[in-house]
Amino acid sequence: MEQAEIRRVYLLGAFIVAAFATPFAVGAWSGNIFYDRQWLMDLITVCLNGLLQGGVYAMYGVGLTLIFGVMRIINVAHGEIVMLGAYLTWVLFNAPEYLGLGWHLDPLLTMVITLPIAFALGFAIQKVLLNAVVGGPELTPLLITFGVGIAMINLVEWIFTTDYHTIPYQPDAFHITETIFVGKNKIISFAMALAISLGVFLFLKLHRLGKAIRATAQNPEVAMVCGIDVQRIYLVTFGLGAALASAGGALVSIQFGFNPETGVQYTVVAFAIIVLGGRGHYLGAMLGAVLLAVLENLVSFMVPNGSAMVEMAAYTMIVGVLLIRPQGLLGVKET
Amino acid sequence: MGAQPPEIALDIRDLRKNFGGIRAVDGCSLAFPRGQISGLIGPNGSGKTTTFNLLTGVIAPDSGAIYYNGDNLAGLKPYQVFRKGITRTFQITRIYREMTVFENMLSASRLSVPERQGRARAEELMAFVNLTHLRDEYGGNLSYGQQKLLEFARALMPDPDVILLDEPAAGINRTLLADLLTHIHRLQGMGKTIVIIEHDMNVIMNHCAKIFVMDYGLKIAEGPAQEIQRNEQVITAYFGHR
Repeated sequence: MEQAEIRRVYLLGAFIVAAFATPFAVGAWSGNIFYDRQWLMDLITVCLNGLLQGGVYAMYGVGLTLIFGVMRIINVAHGEIVMLGAYLTWVLFNAPEYLGLGWHLDPLLTMVITLPIAFALGFAIQKVLLNAVVGGPELTPLLITFGVGIAMINLVEWIFTTDYHTIPYQPDAFHITETIFVGKNKIISFAMALAISLGVFLFLKLHRLGKAIRATAQNPEVAMVCGIDVQRIYLVTFGLGAALASAGGALVSIQFGFNPETGVQYTVVAFAIIVLGGRGHYLGAMLGAVLLAVLENLVSFMVPNGSAMVEMAAYTMIVGVLLIRPQGLLGVKET
Repeated sequence: MGAQPPEIALDIRDLRKNFGGIRAVDGCSLAFPRGQISGLIGPNGSGKTTTFNLLTGVIAPDSGAIYYNGDNLAGLKPYQVFRKGITRTFQITRIYREMTVFENMLSASRLSVPERQGRARAEELMAFVNLTHLRDEYGGNLSYGQQKLLEFARALMPDPDVILLDEPAAGINRTLLADLLTHIHRLQGMGKTIVIIEHDMNVIMNHCAKIFVMDYGLKIAEGPAQEIQRNEQVITAYFGHR
């Protein structure tokens, strides 16, 4: 690694440390920090919640980074696919009740149906709208996915209105100690996110189709002459990215309220994650997701009216990382 | 279907490709003999690499035909050409830098080939080019010469009938070049058809049974080395009018 590059890595490290120190500084300045045992326990709880939320964030991030890494497409509709995943989960969760059966489908079990649907949707978007423009100017797919996102929002608003929905799922808390506790739904979501993310990681690392996806990401021209049907890989990749986003939507639906417009927030988070972790870097996206979620929870906990400042944390991350080391924490400089 | 003589592996007829106003390949016809090492030479910009790109489907021709085993390959996608049994290397070596040597090899194994068979083939070819000791090394950590060997071995993964080598001697030392030429002759001994683009005239004149010369997108000469060396048109193309 050349000297300038090493300097940029240190500078990025310093920026991230400063980003994490800022909520503490603001909290101390505004009197939100209490130097007692209870506050310390609350802080640990907040960090744990951030870590668990990072799992859900990872689901948004890895899908987006996969799509970007393979096709260099900036999928602005990614958050809307997350939102769609949440709605699909909600519909299937309530379907037995609407049919008069008097019970609800487990939202995690719905993934057996929602993930293939999302895969098919991603596959279709790529096939019909994007395959023809991959490799061209970056603005074209960006505008196409922007249009797709808007269409999704309008369609979902038309069907479900703008009301917020949520799925009550394992709402009680799991006590680690008497004073440190986290929601059971968060633990389950994290475990699920970890399992899916690692599953996809191992698929990319070990399976031949996964290796073909990685080969295409590294050099599509070489992949082509090595017998890989690159257009087909693009279809599978967008499908996989959409399925991951949809899984993120399912995990969102059991923890947070959602409506058709929350997709924009998920897109911002996903972008912050992949910029922080390194565009196109799968493990980087997982790391970025955890860092961002913990930071957001710290801001929310310590900064006065902090929940309103959470998005600012994400935007600050994007701008800061792009200025210091555009390839992010684990990304490789593009030549 | 074109009437392709059996002794010809690749029969290119009246191939044309324009880039804007530039005629990169201008009605070129070439017939590469089966089971032989052929050379494709010409001054810079004569259309050699474009011809390779047209042969392997990287770019589609404007017109013309490429007959291989009776099928016209013109307009096929690169993966389809690969599956027909034609592979290539590049002028500037292109390997997957963030994959290991072994993964690079497996990337050229078709999904329809059983995994165990693909792995065995990769091991066999790594041994063939003496890269077994670097099996788990990342492609980006190899020397340029080792990358050349890796790219060459990768091109052999599907057991192709035709191998197109774009400047295999460029940037590698004499010892490695001698090794590479040995490998090429061994492949020819196995009945493979090999076409080499090369600026190193020692390689072309001493190792190619037949040489094709291109200039301004056209074939200007073909024949054995001695004939090509004396050809006035070839001398003019390289050195200008005397």
